[in-house]
Amino acid sequence: MTEGHAECFVAMGTRVELHAFGPCDPQALRLARHEVERVDDALTIHRPSPTVTLNEALSVASGAAVDDPILLAALIETRVLMRMTDGLFDATVRQGAPRGAWDLDIARGRVEAEGPLAFDFGGMGKGLALDAAAASLRAGGVQSGLLSAGESSILAIGQHPLGGPWPIGVPHPFAPGTFLAELDLVDEALSVSATVDAAAPCRQPTLRSDNGAPVTAPLTAVAVAAQGARAEGLSTALLAASPEERDRLAQRHSGRMLCFRYEGRDAITLAITGELACNV
Amino acid sequence: MSDNAFDLTRRLFLDRVVQAAALAGMAQLAPWAAASAADPIGRDRVRLGVIGTGDRGRALIQNILKTRNCAVAAICDDYAPHLDKARALLPAATPAFTDHRAMLDAGGIDAVVIATPLHVHAIQTFDALDAGLHVWCEKAMARTIADCTAMVTRSQAAGRILQIGHQRLFNPTYLNALARARAGEIGTITQVRASWHRNRDWRRAVPPGSDLERKLNWRLYRESSAGLMTELATHQIQVANWFFGALPTRVMGSGSICFWKDGREVYDHVALIFDYPGGRKLVYTSLLNNARYGCEEQIMGHKGSIEPELGRIYAETPPRVPGLQQMRRDVAKGRRRTIPIGGATWFPELPVTTPGESLGWGEYDESMLQFEAFAEAVKTGTPAPGLLREAYHASVASLLGESAMDAGQPISWPSGLAFEKLEA
Ligand SMILES: NC(=O)c1ccc[n+]([C@@H]2O[C@H](COP(=O)([O-])OP(=O)(O)OC[C@H]3O[C@@H](n4cnc5c(N)ncnc54)[C@H](O)[C@@H]3O)[C@@H](O)[C@H]2O)c1
Repeated sequence: MTEGHAECFVAMGTRVELHAFGPCDPQALRLARHEVERVDDALTIHRPSPTVTLNEALSVASGAAVDDPILLAALIETRVLMRMTDGLFDATVRQGAPRGAWDLDIARGRVEAEGPLAFDFGGMGKGLALDAAAASLRAGGVQSGLLSAGESSILAIGQHPLGGPWPIGVPHPFAPGTFLAELDLVDEALSVSATVDAAAPCRQPTLRSDNGAPVTAPLTAVAVAAQGARAEGLSTALLAASPEERDRLAQRHSGRMLCFRYEGRDAITLAITGELACNV
Repeated sequence: MSDNAFDLTRRLFLDRVVQAAALAGMAQLAPWAAASAADPIGRDRVRLGVIGTGDRGRALIQNILKTRNCAVAAICDDYAPHLDKARALLPAATPAFTDHRAMLDAGGIDAVVIATPLHVHAIQTFDALDAGLHVWCEKAMARTIADCTAMVTRSQAAGRILQIGHQRLFNPTYLNALARARAGEIGTITQVRASWHRNRDWRRAVPPGSDLERKLNWRLYRESSAGLMTELATHQIQVANWFFGALPTRVMGSGSICFWKDGREVYDHVALIFDYPGGRKLVYTSLLNNARYGCEEQIMGHKGSIEPELGRIYAETPPRVPGLQQMRRDVAKGRRRTIPIGGATWFPELPVTTPGESLGWGEYDESMLQFEAFAEAVKTGTPAPGLLREAYHASVASLLGESAMDAGQPISWPSGLAFEKLEA
């Protein structure tokens, strides 16, 4: 029998579960949890944090220094994702208004912004946290594991404990017991973004990054990437993309991506890249 | 902001109001919200005479100028520097007055907008109603509960609209939060903890050698203001009443002049508890020498919390992930099958804002929608249902809080009010 270890706790505004299988250092899961909490502490905007300090500085000045390494890493990943997605993904918010331009000087550790803006890493932070936890677990000798932050961010370490890839099924929101898609993960992360939730029909929509407009179409977007942060950014971008933008994204990203639109309770596949078993 | 950018943000903002207004239950909870998104009736603009062109009055003028159905037809202020600043925002031919009665006598307006110090709201409202005009008046309503009540009853007797400035009633984040709370997402709400903390003396500069201290710093003196209660707490008590769906039964509190011992008469530090039916409570603090916790309402239910100023909703216990539990059981039994995970979960947040000043919309925001709703009410002769009642109860509660602090004793919710019950 394969020995399983788990650490479940609340962080990043959701339930985080770290599952490791096979022999592992007893401290490894505790250390991995600590990594998640460090990312939460750096990126939260619900209590004092380096991100809140940066936002406060940017509300009164057009530039601000960043000295926290986790925040800097989040900003660097945001820039990469913005380039990959032609700006469809952006971690800045300007309430009700189009987002302003901003730039990152990595060498000097400075953000420069046009007009007041604020960072909210809600669309990427969970992925970053899982990446940090996975790095820590791997360093602790873990060769097989499955990590999740809520239902929407999942990261697989190595292979399934019984061999072969981790088989993941993304549930169909309106057809209980069936899957929208089944995907195999090996050392990969999966992110699911959606504008529909059968259980909570009045949730607030995702906003497009260029003009702040809400995405109103009923959609589910799925992205697989080597890192959790990348997968999260891509699924968010995919959700906000127009059909043309979606095609462009699909051509550019080598990983797997899927997007579904719902007509009534039926799911219609909109874009597929990579090899993916799709059940609808 | 350029006009195009403004139009865009206006549309996006309205979309959010419309979406929020369309949520389950909102037709009853906030009927004015849906109405504010409708197209204006006819082409005529309601002509407004603005009394009080201080800080707020000028911000209101800028909002009015952006509406589709209102016009600033006259302005009035008895302090020349403020009148001049307002003139600069308007066409040169806009009539300007130093006495509101002269403005009423001159005619040419359909309604007045009152943005003067608290203690003159009532008399100016009465004068305008007597002149046959409708009234839009800033919160809080009046310096005494009796005057608040008289404003309601006299507007009703005159058959004129009276609307009070409570912009949160038009704010999409609040509307959304209310809909989600009523849908049961945070469970039974038992406590609202609200605070408005600032770190400044709240003084306006007075020209040296002048005798304008009490005029310009009216907020600091008891004859003209109940200080933090009428200036800040009114907004948040309204929010608490709204989320509880109830009115306080009694209030107890303690107030002090604790830090700014500069001759002011109103408390610079207040702490109150408002009891609501069923043992529920609003716990309120406001102070003027620490801003760390800023302005917030924490709405707490047994399943979660909403912090509308931050635009956040939290679950007490984030749901378990059943797919992972199944996976662990499977592995223990030597079984490998598809792990169902990745169901649509949402960002747990409401529309996003971050700590600090609100971003983007600035002074054109829900304040503008209030005027559009007011103009439609004036044109149809029908007040937006529920709006005045919300404002009235918030003003009464804030003044009751002041009395409780002064008396050092709990005070019960009074009888003989304009709206006896919560429902109209
Ligand atoms: N809704 C909100 O968020 C909000 C925000 C700020 C202020 N307010 C309210 O707006 C009102 C005004 O506040 P403010 O900050 O603009 O104060 P302010 O002192 O800047 O302006 C008040 C103006 O009224 C003028 N005035 C006084 N007595 C007058 C009279 N008899 N006739 C004509 N003009 C007279 C003063 O000269 C002054 O210009 C208050 O009721 C306040 O509570 C509401």
